[in-house]
Amino acid sequence: MVTTPTISITLNGTRRSIAMSATTRTLMTVLRDDLGLTGTKDACSQGVCGSCTVLIDGAPARACLILTATLDGASVTTIEGLGSTEAPGPVQQAFIDAGAIQCGFCMPGMIIQATSLLRTKPRPSRDEIRHAISGNLCRCSGYAKVIEAVELAASRIAP
Amino acid sequence: MTDTRFHAPERLDEAIGLLTADDEARPLAGGQTLVAMLNAELLRPRAIVSLHRIAALKGVERRAGGSLWIGAMTTHSALAASAELRGAHRLLAEAAARIGHEAIRNRGTIGGAVAHADPSADYPAALVALDAEIEIEGPRGKRSLPAHQFFRGFLTTALEPGELVTGVVLLPGPAKAATRFEKLARVEGDFATASVAVVLGLDAGRVTSARLTLGGCGSVPIQSIEAEQIIAGHTLSDAVLKKAGELLAAAADPIDDVRGTAAYRRAIIPGLVARAVRSALAKGAA
Ligand SMILES: Cc1cc2nc3c(=O)[nH]c(=O)nc-3n(C[C@H](O)[C@H](O)[C@H](O)COP(=O)(O)OP(=O)(O)OC[C@H]3O[C@@H](n4cnc5c(N)ncnc54)[C@H](O)[C@@H]3O)c2cc1C
Repeated sequence: MVTTPTISITLNGTRRSIAMSATTRTLMTVLRDDLGLTGTKDACSQGVCGSCTVLIDGAPARACLILTATLDGASVTTIEGLGSTEAPGPVQQAFIDAGAIQCGFCMPGMIIQATSLLRTKPRPSRDEIRHAISGNLCRCSGYAKVIEAVELAASRIAP
Repeated sequence: MTDTRFHAPERLDEAIGLLTADDEARPLAGGQTLVAMLNAELLRPRAIVSLHRIAALKGVERRAGGSLWIGAMTTHSALAASAELRGAHRLLAEAAARIGHEAIRNRGTIGGAVAHADPSADYPAALVALDAEIEIEGPRGKRSLPAHQFFRGFLTTALEPGELVTGVVLLPGPAKAATRFEKLARVEGDFATASVAVVLGLDAGRVTSARLTLGGCGSVPIQSIEAEQIIAGHTLSDAVLKKAGELLAAAADPIDDVRGTAAYRRAIIPGLVARAVRSALAKGAA
């Protein structure tokens, strides 16, 4: 009944056993501090900014607001699971090509959210894109290019 | 300092037992409020009792007599998309769809939101307008309370120590109903500056009953029987809507906060009420 300190999740397609050093560690701290996956960004820790957004069982969620101990058996996708520097995924490549990246801090969350949008709505309207990324704050205020990047990604993934 | 203990029981009675045995244990639902509070070091419970494995808190079921039971662990996303929410019950789906952002709605639950009782939250006003019953279970057994008696004040409910919200029961509403959850927020995904929940009963194009509740305009959802009486049975002229809005504004007890001043809230309530009723009627019976 007292949950074991070790949980099993599928992380970016690979099954992993995670030994929890403390029961109340959030998914964000486990990803960043224990597993070295620092693509998931830590900004507000209140669920407001969206920079730590990951996919849990395919659906966007805030890594900062989830206790890792509740994720036994779940599948988690982080920005590292969408591609690499050498082989960026299609949404990542579209963000680069559209010049959507300024300081880059909000980008992992933005790209995760956009990826999820394009899976459910392959050809979203501009309004749908704006609505989808409304929970991802960019303090460089580069939203126009982000919207263009999502449109570019859509045109490449579902031409 | 000792680490917080973590429990994830599969049975409801185990969860209630753990919470009853330790007054510094906290139930955890979607974590969209509780984990934010842990991160901000606003609380440090001795134990966390996660409800995520308890089957008795999950699902949406139609019950005898046409009422609908919604398990406490049902997420906002699931409610926003639920085909079970029909007629007057659509109001709850509309409110769910306006909570925060998609990532929050995917994890946050109705039980957690109801138990937290934030006056700016979206469900309380909707549940009061629907005359919903809050289903509770604790060390002394089960009970249920109408929503308007459950919400007692700012972050305060009728829950006793060791008690959990197990579900919400929506009684059958008017046979033909039009609904609207009208929310004014500074930006998309923010809590409401003010909200209006409307359920109109319709018969042959006439409004035969009306339930109007304000959110974010007092420590609990605000009602005005007089406002509901003048909406039901009258031709809905601008003057009638204005009068109803003024009655609700007078019943409101708003505060000054980061989302607006009390005076601002009082000033916008009549316009918001009129807009809510007109939108409900424009959509027609669902
Ligand atoms: C960025 C952001 C924006 C948001 N915007 C909105 C908004 O616009 N409108 C809105 O209404 N809400 C909003 N919320 C709050 C959101 O709806 C939360 O999901 C909700 O308030 C809490 O639900 P939870 O399941 O996450 O509960 P938790 O965070 O797990 O728990 C909340 C509290 O309730 C207790 N609790 C949980 N479940 C039960 C139960 N079954 N019985 C008894 N006690 C219980 C917990 O101990 C805790 O005290 C927002 C949250 C965030 C982070």
